[in-house]
Amino acid sequence: MPKRKKIIVFTVLLALAWSGAIAFGLRTLLAYEATPGAVGLLAQTWPKKSSIRRTPGQPTLVMLAHPRCPCTSASIDELAELLAHTHGKVNSYVLFLKPEERDWAETSLQRAAAAIPGVTVLSDPDGAEAKLFGAQTSGHTLLFDANGHLVFSGGITGSRGHAGANAGENALVALLNDQPAERSATLVFGCSLSGGEQKSGGQLTCRK
Amino acid sequence: MSQISIGFEREAASAERADQLFRQHQQEIYHKTDALFARLMLAQWVAGIIAALVISPQTWNGQTSQIHIHVWAAIFLGGAITVFPIWMTRVFPGAAITRHVIAVAQMLMSALLIGLSGGRIETHFHVFGSLVILSFYRDWRVLIPATLVVALDHFVRGIYWPYSVYGVLAASPWRSIEHAAWVIFEDVFLVISCARSVSEMLSIANRTAALEVSEQNFRQIFEEAPIGMAVVGLDERFRQANAAFCTMVEYSEEELRDRTPLDLTDPEDVALSRQLASAMFETAGSHRVEKRYRRRNGEVIWSTRTGCMIRDEAGKPRHALIMVEDISERKRGEEALREAKEEADRANRAKSEFLSRMSHELRTPLNAILGFGRLLERQSASETQRNYAGHITNAGRHLLDLINEVLDISRIEAGGLQLSLEPVCVADAVAEAVDLMRPLAAERQISVEVAPSQDPVLYVLADRQRLKQVLLNLLSNGVKYIPVGGAVGISATLDGAENIRLTVSDNGPGIAPEKLSRLFTPFDRLGAEFSSIQGSGLGLALCRRLMIAMQGTITVESSVGGGSRFSIHLPRTESPLVRGAVGKRLMTDRLALSDLGRQRTILYIEDNLSNLTLIEEMLQEQPGIKLLTAMQGSIGLDLARRSSPDLILLDLHLPDLPGWEVLAQLQASEATRQIPIIVISADATSNQIERLMNAGARAYLTKPLDVAEFYRALEVASPRPEECVAA
Repeated sequence: MPKRKKIIVFTVLLALAWSGAIAFGLRTLLAYEATPGAVGLLAQTWPKKSSIRRTPGQPTLVMLAHPRCPCTSASIDELAELLAHTHGKVNSYVLFLKPEERDWAETSLQRAAAAIPGVTVLSDPDGAEAKLFGAQTSGHTLLFDANGHLVFSGGITGSRGHAGANAGENALVALLNDQPAERSATLVFGCSLSGGEQKSGGQLTCRK
Repeated sequence: MSQISIGFEREAASAERADQLFRQHQQEIYHKTDALFARLMLAQWVAGIIAALVISPQTWNGQTSQIHIHVWAAIFLGGAITVFPIWMTRVFPGAAITRHVIAVAQMLMSALLIGLSGGRIETHFHVFGSLVILSFYRDWRVLIPATLVVALDHFVRGIYWPYSVYGVLAASPWRSIEHAAWVIFEDVFLVISCARSVSEMLSIANRTAALEVSEQNFRQIFEEAPIGMAVVGLDERFRQANAAFCTMVEYSEEELRDRTPLDLTDPEDVALSRQLASAMFETAGSHRVEKRYRRRNGEVIWSTRTGCMIRDEAGKPRHALIMVEDISERKRGEEALREAKEEADRANRAKSEFLSRMSHELRTPLNAILGFGRLLERQSASETQRNYAGHITNAGRHLLDLINEVLDISRIEAGGLQLSLEPVCVADAVAEAVDLMRPLAAERQISVEVAPSQDPVLYVLADRQRLKQVLLNLLSNGVKYIPVGGAVGISATLDGAENIRLTVSDNGPGIAPEKLSRLFTPFDRLGAEFSSIQGSGLGLALCRRLMIAMQGTITVESSVGGGSRFSIHLPRTESPLVRGAVGKRLMTDRLALSDLGRQRTILYIEDNLSNLTLIEEMLQEQPGIKLLTAMQGSIGLDLARRSSPDLILLDLHLPDLPGWEVLAQLQASEATRQIPIIVISADATSNQIERLMNAGARAYLTKPLDVAEFYRALEVASPRPEECVAA
């Protein structure tokens, strides 16, 4: 076979392999990014055992986060945007997982969260608070109304670590502005807080 | 081939070349942009890996971690996206498929980078930036696969993973269309930009092709010019040379680049070449000269070299253009011609010498023949003997005439004929010629009539003897060739303001038109040689040559049965008497020869009656001057010996003896050696003057006479009595 023809045949084969590899790679990546994290047993009202002081008569937002989860960066960004739209209407807390044996006090995520005006950054030793609120995935955000009732639960990113417009943020903005929200729960995309196997397809509760 | 078809062919060649240049330029752009993307994709791959390692190196599951999938995606998916287009740029650089693969890969890289950056809005700019970079190809079609990839990405993800794109679980297809529309919005302007770029490229290609065709035409003209052409730089070295020049000097163009024109110049012409180069540098225009080059083998080439300096718009010299034409052949021809002429001159001189000697050798026995012939005619007792003697003398005279004419013609051809051009009174010349012709005319019962002239004092500038010779020749032809009882007429008329025409006409049988062209050919008697009329066939040939020598012309009009009219045309001149009168009035108060104190005798030897009259007029009012005149050299010599004049005025052109011979004899004789001699001649050549002054002339005056100078010469040449005493 002439060299030129060999090259053409090889190129065609390479093109096929290239297409397949890219299709497979993108499919895998997108599937990964679109896979939500697990959601625990949610507290429908403000947990009484929580160490966080809820201000009565005012909505309270709580985000549970893993200080090292790269996907949570998008969640923090979206939180900043959310609070920019609802300035002063909610008390916000971001609770970062703090295992006893690890020194995760000063991560970039914690600094980013602390930089958001109106956000209180707290440590969640061994994930105790996450358990109380029923959050198992980093970036899980909960909104309690002025009476301490859970009005929203879920993530505020469209996919893993993917910033941009998303249903969770839209719902929170609507609720905090006393508007009807299309949904009261969304999928949460992020690292596991508990260390156990992630269960995809967390519970979604539509608020209709 | 017609000019129009040549024009079409040039246009077609130009269009073809423009298309070639355009495609060449396009390919260059494709290759360069391919190379750019190959580097860009590698850089993007590496950047993606770095970004993944920085942004999301690990993913966490509680307190345990593992490498984040973004890192693997950056390495493997990024590598997969990158490797194939790079392969394509290596294997099929510039090919359309390569551009399209790159377009697809670049958009996929955008998708990957957006994913790796967590969907940051800033990273989306990569899509728009990539489209712009793709437009570097200046091929709008490459934007199609790129746009399709973006659109497909949004549509597929909108359908299968809408949450990841739009943040909703179920997205409307219109959102995907909206996203794609923004990309298409940019595409529109990029397509316009590509179209403009292509249009500019076409325009540049057309201009370049037109310039190339033009340059090629000029180059072809330069190369194929039949004369040598070369461009010489300011460093004096050859820059370009055409084939003709290279062939001429036998050097290749490459070899010439290491040489200067001076290296090729014949050493004898180097100085000339330097002067020319300097002139060319300093002054505008072309400079032409004949100079010699040397071929490689040393052979000399004669050439005509024309050079000019090519200058820029500011007039600053850029280089010199020289055109060299090989004229060696012409030079050789000229040399051969010169040698042939010299040879011919030598032959002519030999011929003249031969004729001169033969003339002498023939004249000597003729002298005896004619002399004794005449004696026999007188002394013979019987009629028969006198008749025989008459035949002898007639034949002798004919032979003598023939010899004289042959000699005259040979003198004219050799340029050795001495002429004394001076004012000649037409009436006198005609009268003398007619008088000489009358006996012959009477013998043949031919009447010779002189037409009265409107202006009796017409003067022509001519040699008096030769003019008379021409007239005699024409008259004798008329008398000889017309039947007995015929008539010959002669008239003088003005021919315009500056010429005089002398016409000799007859009522003879005339000459056939076809013979007229042979009329002035020596020895061609037009058939008369078979008649009883004597003649040599040299008369008219001699007349024509004499007229030309006297700056005149001779023409003929004749028809069979209508007689012939021979006309000579000579320049008209003023009467010397008029000039003399004016000069005399001017000079009388300056010089009074009577003051010399005694009777003085001046002998004037001159055959021209007008000149004699002029001098007589100038001297007649001087009471102390006695003027003796002689119209022949021999008579002049005799008078000089007998009367011992105080001064001799000598004309050089005398009928019997040349003036220089009269001078020589006067100087040779004891009796006349002391008499001062003033030569008066129309010959003003310095050689002649020097020769005669060396021969003993006291002064030399040229005709027409300057009166003042004449009197001055008289005063200087003629000694006063006291001077004689002192001497």
